[in-house]
Amino acid sequence: MTAETVPVAKEAPQPRKSSWKRTALIGLSRYGTIIGLLLMVLFFSINAPGIFLSRANFLNILSQASLTAIIASGLTYTLVVGEFDLSIGYVASFVGLIVTGLMAYEGFPIWLSIACALALGSGIGILNGLLVTKVRINAVISTLGIGTMLTGIGFTYSAFPIATGIPRAFTDISLGRIVFGLPNPVIIMVVVLLALWTVLNKTDIGQKMQAVGSNMEAARLSGIRVDRIKIFAFATAGFCAALTGTLLSSLLGSGTLAAADGYLLDAFAAVFLGSATLREGEFHITGTLVGVLILAVGFNGLSIFGAPTHFQPIFKGGILVLAVGMSALARRYAASA
Amino acid sequence: MSATASAADAWMRIRGLTKSFAGELALDRADLDIERGRVHGLVGANGAGKSTLIRCLAGVTSPDQGSVMIAANELQMGSPQASERAGLAFIHQELNLIPHFSALQNMLLGAPKATRFGMIDWKRSGVAARAAAERVGIRFPLDTKISELSVAQRWLVMIGKALTRDASMIAMDEPTASLSEPESEQLFAIIRDLAAQGVAILYVSHRLEEVLQLCDRITVLRDGRIVNEAERGALDKKGLVRAIIGHAIRTPDERDRLAADRSRQPVFSARSIAWKQAVKDVSLDLYKGEVLALGGLVGAGRTEFAHLVAGLARPEVGHFELDGKRLHVANPSEAVKAGIALVPEERRSQGVMLQQSVAFNINISTLKLLRSVPGLPFLSDAKSRRQAESLVAHLGIKTPGVAAKIAGLSGGNQQKALIARWLNAGTRLLILDEPSRGVDVGAREEIHDAIRALARSGVGILVISSDVEELTLLADRVLVMREGRITGELTGADITEARIIELSYQDAHDDQGEAA
Repeated sequence: MTAETVPVAKEAPQPRKSSWKRTALIGLSRYGTIIGLLLMVLFFSINAPGIFLSRANFLNILSQASLTAIIASGLTYTLVVGEFDLSIGYVASFVGLIVTGLMAYEGFPIWLSIACALALGSGIGILNGLLVTKVRINAVISTLGIGTMLTGIGFTYSAFPIATGIPRAFTDISLGRIVFGLPNPVIIMVVVLLALWTVLNKTDIGQKMQAVGSNMEAARLSGIRVDRIKIFAFATAGFCAALTGTLLSSLLGSGTLAAADGYLLDAFAAVFLGSATLREGEFHITGTLVGVLILAVGFNGLSIFGAPTHFQPIFKGGILVLAVGMSALARRYAASA
Repeated sequence: MSATASAADAWMRIRGLTKSFAGELALDRADLDIERGRVHGLVGANGAGKSTLIRCLAGVTSPDQGSVMIAANELQMGSPQASERAGLAFIHQELNLIPHFSALQNMLLGAPKATRFGMIDWKRSGVAARAAAERVGIRFPLDTKISELSVAQRWLVMIGKALTRDASMIAMDEPTASLSEPESEQLFAIIRDLAAQGVAILYVSHRLEEVLQLCDRITVLRDGRIVNEAERGALDKKGLVRAIIGHAIRTPDERDRLAADRSRQPVFSARSIAWKQAVKDVSLDLYKGEVLALGGLVGAGRTEFAHLVAGLARPEVGHFELDGKRLHVANPSEAVKAGIALVPEERRSQGVMLQQSVAFNINISTLKLLRSVPGLPFLSDAKSRRQAESLVAHLGIKTPGVAAKIAGLSGGNQQKALIARWLNAGTRLLILDEPSRGVDVGAREEIHDAIRALARSGVGILVISSDVEELTLLADRVLVMREGRITGELTGADITEARIIELSYQDAHDDQGEAA
């Protein structure tokens, strides 16, 4: 690709690295996240063998990771099509509140409440998608606007946590261990991630999503309905956010305002860490899972070593900046390769 | 200076310059002498090594081996600052100017004319810049903002900028790519003038006539090697083309032109199409087997017409017919479903998905055919690979494999992949907008063969090209557009460069800038 242009008058001289250094850099950017994850595991295993290195703790890490992994995978879809969704944390909080309300106040059966919750999340996603594609509001603005509105609507619905009148069976969903003795959220995560991975990599619509994200104009001219593909991605993000919100309410045994807001940042950090994993700056489900695990192991280690809780935001924010930086570097190297 | 000028006297002596990327030689022991006061042409197919050579001189790429002597000094490699200090200036096609700065500010940008207090000595700098402006014949006021200047005038500013820094060699990359013919002529006059003043010019272009007309000496690169060096007049165009591609190219042969049977139903028709001010009452019929081309100047409404056919916009007046049936197309997706595809003008921004593989780029419009089980949305990797491989072989796309990223392919091979995208898609009408822009001569010939074969197989082909030579080589019939209207039709032996240009320019030579 460098063959047909002669970019000699570029303002910034390109980094002049010898080729083995380049290879090493590309390798580091590809496997850096995985190496980082393994090093963290190794470090905690050596320094806190009794606590960190146990089946119970590993399951604990996976349980924590599962909710983040589900919401982050939905977010991955919007990033694959070149968009953004800042509403996911608010959607999860809002739906988590509504799902408990449906059971406690409206007397809906559990399955119907959950179905409504997931439909609601998907619907909000579709609304986001319509605002972005048809009305053409920038995704940052529209999803932030919708998310903020949801906070207010949630407050109107119930200013107080909904804790009474929630059936025991609902909380059992996240506490139970139906398959292989693994916590249910972990199983749900595996199913969701497998489904999203398959759709993204093995189906028409997944290929079209990648095409839209690679070059929207080219995708349009190839006969792809770009708007529909984007709306589908937003709907998936909404669905996943709703699922995370529902599982969180089940885990907490209550519907609480703003309970899931913090997942937004976790999800972004995980997705961007993931985009620098194995590929050069592309968003993908496997990468997102690696990103989520890095966060979960990190948080787990911090709490094992008794780090004060205010260390968590420092770690989280630091990881986010680091992740986006690595992703950007990876993309730049991919472009200059 | 004669062709046998002794190498030891040359002002710049490039010796044994070698550079490989990822194990492949981009430049292989290149020896080249450059003299002040002469225009040196550098030609070669995409990927032949021109860019690498220039990037080495500019200091943005470090060669693996080799040296460059300028007069008595060795040039420090891999340092843009050293190259600039040595008096080498480089002007890239995408001019590196700041649009809201004045011409003067741009000319002085980064110029090392500061006082000892670190402040810019505007007065002294201004004198140097004005002297430079005088030399290149800039007639507009130097405080004009770049955004208000024509492309040709911007080139003058870039040359002026180089002269302000006392450049003794200026390398220019495809300077005429976005210039009109008269503007190009003006630029050539300035280049000759600069050479007469003792500046060395390194001129890189795909436009061979231009190179033959302008350059005192032409160097041909192929596969990283210098394969030919000729003084002015020693090579004609045919010889030059042969040197570039390594074999002779076919000349337009009238027997190749197909006179389509016009008594039959057209594959595609346009009826009185009008849209905004760009397309005015355009009607045409495209018959089975023929390559129909739209000629004319940039801005004649041809691309807009193509966009209307492809569903990117809807005509305000008129309608289209495909195989005799009236079309109702509201967007590109419906156009593709109806069998109309567009290979767009801007390959990079509208055509290829650069970070994806060759197979991905080829298969994206035929995903339905690649399902494991019809009716279910799951794709078969084996079918995908097989389709991509067979199309790669069919069109002779040069790629390390179908899983390779398309970004690594040359422009010509990327273009072939974009054509491949439509071969299995049930396409009835394929519109190709500037199919060989930025593509080297060898690849262009292959692309033309593929297009012609497609037409003969019954697919309607509508080609849009501003490259007059391409029209004469490729088209069976040419419709010339000017200011939104079809102004003439050429068939058979009438399809000549002269006739096309005549029809394109009628009443249209009153818009030249004052850059002369």
